[in-house]
Amino acid sequence: MKEIIHNVYIIEREGKEILVTKSKYGSHYGERKIGEFREWIPSRSKLAAMILKGHVIDIKPDWKVLYLGAASGTTVSHLADIVDEGIIYAVEYSAKPFVKFLQLAEERRNIIPLLEDASTPWKYNGIVEKVDFVYQDIAQKNQIEIFFANIDMFLKDGGEGVIMVKARSIDSTAEPEVVFDRVVKELGEKLEVVAHGSLEPFHKDHIYVHVRKTK
Amino acid sequence: MKWNVWFGEVVEEDGKLIAKKSSDLVESFKNASNPEALPFNLPEVGLQVFESLEDYYRTLRKIAIKVTSEKVEKELKREDRYVILLLKALDKLNESINMLEEKLRDIEEVKISETTEDFRERIEELKRLRRRIEKEIEDVITKIAPNLTEIAGAVIAARLLEKAGSLERLAFLPASKIQILGAEKSLYKALARMRRGKPAKTPKHGIIFIHPFIRTLPKRKRGRMARFMAAKLAIAAKLDYFKGELDESLAESVRKKYEELRREKDKPKKEESKQERREEKQKKKKKKPKHR
Repeated sequence: MKEIIHNVYIIEREGKEILVTKSKYGSHYGERKIGEFREWIPSRSKLAAMILKGHVIDIKPDWKVLYLGAASGTTVSHLADIVDEGIIYAVEYSAKPFVKFLQLAEERRNIIPLLEDASTPWKYNGIVEKVDFVYQDIAQKNQIEIFFANIDMFLKDGGEGVIMVKARSIDSTAEPEVVFDRVVKELGEKLEVVAHGSLEPFHKDHIYVHVRKTK
Repeated sequence: MKWNVWFGEVVEEDGKLIAKKSSDLVESFKNASNPEALPFNLPEVGLQVFESLEDYYRTLRKIAIKVTSEKVEKELKREDRYVILLLKALDKLNESINMLEEKLRDIEEVKISETTEDFRERIEELKRLRRRIEKEIEDVITKIAPNLTEIAGAVIAARLLEKAGSLERLAFLPASKIQILGAEKSLYKALARMRRGKPAKTPKHGIIFIHPFIRTLPKRKRGRMARFMAAKLAIAAKLDYFKGELDESLAESVRKKYEELRREKDKPKKEESKQERREEKQKKKKKKPKHR
């Protein structure tokens, strides 16, 4: 058993190494519960995939997080295990998956659910505080613009940001590599790009980009 | 300067930030928008009106869950629009598939080539898309109109929704209108004849005719079944719109009525059975009777 960051471990199970988070809570999306751990499935969560690809962000237990594109809460449930003394402001536009998400929000004490459009951050500007970490997983064409707008409004100076980019949702005709190059360059114009890489084989044609807000 | 925040307002007076707690936190939460980034950190200023940070977050979370649950519920009701648009697209897709298949058959009669094979593959793709749309319509209609779906099935429920225009409008329709939704043409034809003083029959059923409970009954009983079903559908639409929870007794009563009507066939009145035989004869002659 190896601790990676707060409450995130790699444990051995039936001869295989699997990623887990230490959790007081039960299964949320059908993941296995192994003792006090919940399996963090990389094909379901891009953040888990990023960690297994070897890029680890040292998320602190007391971090305030703005999570854009929370959907039904697969990744948020694990992130909530990690920031067990912090707060996650979780934004999602679509009502249908948020029904399930609300169950999670009722269960955990560190999740603030917001049914809002991430492309209009001023609408929740009087709710969300300054955060240490902005995480975005939204399959929209203007996702970079959305990321910038939210970082401008809510990320502390020196704070971290991660965006999961799907090539096809930005440009379905261009080669993924071309799209990714363009995205990384665009992000680099305003933010410090700490790292980026592919999420294969867990998620096809996806990359993560880790940025930092440095003035 | 003044900012709208979830717990009320923050105002700047003599260079100092002063928090004012709203008497209606739900309302202030909904109006917490500001065009520019706040020049202060919310929980810090919030401490002026909350006992502790714990109190601050506990209250924020409570209000957020309350407002979001209400919003989610309201949004889901808007999914009727989604179903209607999907259904319209599905109709167009069906037309296209039929038309393309016909053209392909024409070509294949002349020559089968790589191009025709590719053609066929594309049509198969469209058919897969059709199945997906049908599945999605079924999923959504079952969720937003569980009572209508339980009584009428996904297809009829979605059609009724389409004809009415929205779940709200369907909920306010009288049963008599629901009964003939989809048969407007023959209804107005009949009404026009009546106005001219000519004998005419108004239609017994519109979309709901395709329901097996109506279709499988003999003609003379269909009117009664359609009327009964429409009455229950009208209740179902109201339940779905205002409550959204399934009441199984509704569909059960429709089934009972159907069994009742079907059994009645075993001991028909003499007159009726004569009439029925006549109808059967006509049916055989015409082969395809019009239902409207």
